[in-house]
Amino acid sequence: MSDSTQRIVTLARHEYRSAVRSKILIVLLGILVAVTAVSVYIASVDYASKLADYQAYVDAAKASGLDRIAPSPLAALSLLRGAFEYLEIIGAVIAIALGYLTVSRERSNRTLPLIRSRPVTSGELATGSLLGALGVIATLVGVTAIVGVIGVGIIGHDWINATQALQLLLAYLASIIYMGAFYCLGAIATAQSRVAANGLMIALGIWLIVVLVLPQIGDTMDADNQIPGGLFKALGLGHDGEVQILTHFTTYERIRTWTEEASLAKHFERFTFAMSDVKERYRPFSLPRLLGQTRNDIGWLIAYAGILYAGLRRTFRLQPTIPQGGTP
Amino acid sequence: MSSPVIELQGLSHRYDTDLVLRNIDLTIDAGEIFGFLGHNGAGKTTAINILTTLIEPTSGAAKVCGYDVVTERRDVTRCIGYLPAEVRMYGHMTAAENLEFFAKLSGVNEPRKAVTETLDYLDCADLADERVGSFSTGMRQRIGIAQAIVHRPKVLFLDEPTSGLDPLGVRQLRQTILRLNGDLGMTVFMNTHQLSEVSKVCTTIGVLNHGELIYKDSIEETTRRFPNEASLEDIYVRMEDATT
Amino acid sequence: MIATIATHQVLSLRRQRVFLAMLATLLTMTALAGVLGWSSHQTIVRVYDEAVKLLASTGQPAPPNPFLLKPALSLLSNMVVYIPLIGALLALIAGHLSIVDDETNGTGRLVFSRQISRTSYLLGKIASAAIVLATVLAASLAVSVAALLVVNRTIASGDLGRLVMFYGLSWLYLMVFALIGMVTVLMTRRRSIALLSAMGTWLVITFVIPQFTSGLRPTQSLNPITDPASTSQTFFKVTSKFRPYSIVEQYKQASGRILHTAPAESFGHTVQRVLPIAGLAAVLVLLTIRLVQRHDFSRSANSE
Repeated sequence: MSDSTQRIVTLARHEYRSAVRSKILIVLLGILVAVTAVSVYIASVDYASKLADYQAYVDAAKASGLDRIAPSPLAALSLLRGAFEYLEIIGAVIAIALGYLTVSRERSNRTLPLIRSRPVTSGELATGSLLGALGVIATLVGVTAIVGVIGVGIIGHDWINATQALQLLLAYLASIIYMGAFYCLGAIATAQSRVAANGLMIALGIWLIVVLVLPQIGDTMDADNQIPGGLFKALGLGHDGEVQILTHFTTYERIRTWTEEASLAKHFERFTFAMSDVKERYRPFSLPRLLGQTRNDIGWLIAYAGILYAGLRRTFRLQPTIPQGGTP
Repeated sequence: MSSPVIELQGLSHRYDTDLVLRNIDLTIDAGEIFGFLGHNGAGKTTAINILTTLIEPTSGAAKVCGYDVVTERRDVTRCIGYLPAEVRMYGHMTAAENLEFFAKLSGVNEPRKAVTETLDYLDCADLADERVGSFSTGMRQRIGIAQAIVHRPKVLFLDEPTSGLDPLGVRQLRQTILRLNGDLGMTVFMNTHQLSEVSKVCTTIGVLNHGELIYKDSIEETTRRFPNEASLEDIYVRMEDATT
Repeated sequence: MIATIATHQVLSLRRQRVFLAMLATLLTMTALAGVLGWSSHQTIVRVYDEAVKLLASTGQPAPPNPFLLKPALSLLSNMVVYIPLIGALLALIAGHLSIVDDETNGTGRLVFSRQISRTSYLLGKIASAAIVLATVLAASLAVSVAALLVVNRTIASGDLGRLVMFYGLSWLYLMVFALIGMVTVLMTRRRSIALLSAMGTWLVITFVIPQFTSGLRPTQSLNPITDPASTSQTFFKVTSKFRPYSIVEQYKQASGRILHTAPAESFGHTVQRVLPIAGLAAVLVLLTIRLVQRHDFSRSANSE
């Protein structure tokens, strides 16, 4: 292992250990795991009863000698929809908190000069911190994944198969990248602020806009959502009529799409919903086709994460080692 | 003989399982400049926190200006001024705004006039409209003293007032303390590690060691009692050594 | 003394950039809600025109204009989402900043070495939060009225009254979060833990409790009006009994009734929805009074 890699690994281990000692972080993690469990439980109980109904139909159909049996309309992975939504919302807050704690810890302990007076570059510091944080995030995501899969299996009475497992793995990898991006945001905002807690507030404000407000604006602008029960239904139009009319709204739809595209959370949501069979139209697709359909979302996720990581490296490079007044 | 303005009787204080003050008996007369010495963690700040009514003692009693710090808290706060260690004030407000706020809380009748007079007295009228967040340590310390005296208290409590000051700042602080004592008759109770300043400013010293008051006397009498020691620092070190 | 503390704190908040940034965000979102409402109006008009043409080309009669189905104040229905999101975060920050600076700057020692009681201090802080939030919401109300006038060209006095009631309810809702911001500072010694605890509490109230009481997923909670998930699970037979105490759901339901964007109900029923919010605010006031009596402002600041 080269010296540089050794330093990065040391920093990553330091970051991981420091993070898991933070009581507030443990509490937030606990909340996330608990609500994931509840969300999966609620969905799985309903699913189990629907699955039982479907099984009864299959048994009855076979007993009466029918050859063509309708496929199950159920999708076990979709029970994890709530879990992914919680990762999207609460997971991002946890990641921001991690980023904030990384910077504020070194500042308040005044240990940054001790680190930087050693042969550690700002790039190594940024990479080591991020890797340590990704370790914490991966642990969290892993726990929620296990809770989810076991919940679906035991309560929903439907264990996932190998293909589904692979889809889930990709969805959870995307979760790690998504949360990694917010970690970088939290660290950057904190490092740039004279008062560290103000940086945390700024990062949370950005989270609010990106994760909650922008997607909500996109939903609000959806033409069909203008009237309760659907605008096109109120006008007595079916799907064909809707499509025909929307051809006159291409600019409007483009603006709506751009608004949604600006949200990292929306890309994460689209990708994970595709991988977890939430969207019915994606269910018949093979994995390669799913990945093709969601390549835009994958691209945006990686781009956002990459830009924020570059921002983190730059911030650490420009950050003064000795605090210049202000509150650590 | 001056009447006592600070009285501690059997004062003790405990934080959880730590007994940080042990049965302190201490009397300070009006007009004295009292230097409270002791190692880090001896209990000096705890003593000041009790005398300024911020915390209540676990046992024993303390009086300031004749008022009990627990049962007559409000009366105590009317006659004291306090400059804690490492206070930053409200950084996004000007010096004048900070002082006016504290003057009002102290019940000063014409706060703006009191603020102007205080800043003039301390030769920092030019700082009045500047935001405290931009001040150096020395400037902040001067404004800190200003808020402690804006209501003309009888007793001034200073916790490590020279911390972070350069030599010029230390000298200015010394001169200010002497003026407040001489001009306004303020009794000063000062926690400090700067023994050179203690010998130049204080009239009386007390030494706290692991929560116990091991010595109290005037500077004059102390110097007479330890004729072989070259400085107050030597005397203090000798006292600390004797207790270990 | 209360007035001194309150005016000082209002001035202090006005000078804090992070607070001003959140305020600007809320006002921008209010304006945006109006823009989205206008956009909605335009979209419906255009879709309706296209639908009439399309149906006429197939010999079908023109449908009724769906815009007539939308109440006038529906233009601002997104505010019912933005207040619990952005407004609550703003209120948390206001409450947090009002006390945390006295702790971390060490100015609490300067305040309490003067003749001010802990209760007076706290009431001054609560008053400052109330004044600031009222001012912020008044500004938001002004922007909302302007948006309504631009789109609808007129505003009925009944609608104006309803709008004022909605903002009054919003003020009460936001005061709960300002108090939560104060409570978390008084219960912790570190600024960061106080803020993250307050955020955690907000997340639980806004997203987690509705999941328990109504089976709402987090993204469903972002809609102005949501109906509880229809499920006969035993789990919900128990937890749905606590739905009246899910203040975010009660706030949204009451707001929808006030703005006429939800099915009508009796005024008494709407008032019943508000009672848990008022009750929680009262409990939090008492809690903060108790906590401030016991809080140790004497220790040196731990800013993190």
